[in-house]
Amino acid sequence: MRRVLTLFLLGSIAAQAQEGFPLDGTWRGQRAAPGESPATIVLILQWDGKKVTGIINPGPKQTAIADAALIPEGWRVKLSARTATGQPIAFEGTLGELGSYHRSITGTWTEGGQRYQVRMVRE
Amino acid sequence: MRLSAGLALLAALVALLPGGHCGDAVAAASGTPTPRFPDGRVRLDRLPGESGYWDLPSTTTLVEQGVHVDIDASGKLKNISDAVRVAPLQPWALALYQYRQRNGLTDDPMRACVGPGNPRQMQTPGGIRIIEDRNYQRVYVLFGGGNRGWRTIYMDGRKPPDPDEVTATFYGLAVGHWEGDTLVAESIGFNTRFWFSNGGLPHTEGLRLTERFRRASHDVLEYEVTVDDSRTYTRPWKAAWTLHWVSGDIPEHFCETGRK
Repeated sequence: MRRVLTLFLLGSIAAQAQEGFPLDGTWRGQRAAPGESPATIVLILQWDGKKVTGIINPGPKQTAIADAALIPEGWRVKLSARTATGQPIAFEGTLGELGSYHRSITGTWTEGGQRYQVRMVRE
Repeated sequence: MRLSAGLALLAALVALLPGGHCGDAVAAASGTPTPRFPDGRVRLDRLPGESGYWDLPSTTTLVEQGVHVDIDASGKLKNISDAVRVAPLQPWALALYQYRQRNGLTDDPMRACVGPGNPRQMQTPGGIRIIEDRNYQRVYVLFGGGNRGWRTIYMDGRKPPDPDEVTATFYGLAVGHWEGDTLVAESIGFNTRFWFSNGGLPHTEGLRLTERFRRASHDVLEYEVTVDDSRTYTRPWKAAWTLHWVSGDIPEHFCETGRK
């Protein structure tokens, strides 16, 4: 039991370490307007050395990200996409807890003319 | 979180050395010829009946060859403005390296006993052995510093694998060959959950390392690494240093024993 606990604690500590390109990975958050049920947002982002690519909400109705960028000054994040029905999506935020595996992006998600305050957390 | 025993050991061994450099007198000490197998191949490890291992790296910081910056043994720059000179970093990587530096390297995975990346093993005091297993056509690199582990270099002629087909690991997948008296190891397939240098130079899963080991004499091992990661750096770059033969056995040390 002690060994299991030790391994768990070591794993937990190791998971705090910062990894390579700060946006790489899977991110999850929610958007909710007053009176609405929250909708989950999942982002998968990947850096190829020149640009960030990715998808929103992977699955049958996934949306390809058209443009995404990490701006090191201030660790700002921007992305844009267009849904299958042509609705524009935009997200602008700031990276937080940069040294953590479970870092976050906090900012404004705009979709269907609505603006949402969103916090995405890296999984 | 307290400094791990491995880092404490490193600090203790090199604290008195400016810039983390060992005395050059050690490098020049040996005139004994390079040991060889009966067929003439260089031995990177002990002769039969001998004891000893590699240690005392001539530097504990990874900086591009030919560049001189004021940096301490743990990899912390004296002037953060020198960050741009340490290696040809892409803008995001430069910003992350500066963040880690300003943050006092507190995010260093070695503080949680995560193993050092390959070049960092060669800069972590605590002992290295490079053992050629000629029956199985492999070279094992054993290291006593950090988390006390080993890595394997396959010498059986296999081709380097497709990077997209490799499961990313801490030490990557290495294939090696001899070029004269130099062992050349090419590694790919690294994950990003470790730092490959003291000081926190970033990397991605696109990292490729080419390491060259040459035993210049009985007591001196020359090591050179080429870092190629186009997602992090604007071009491949090199660094080189030496390790020195120490008599005896690698002391028993476990990173975890320094943790509370």
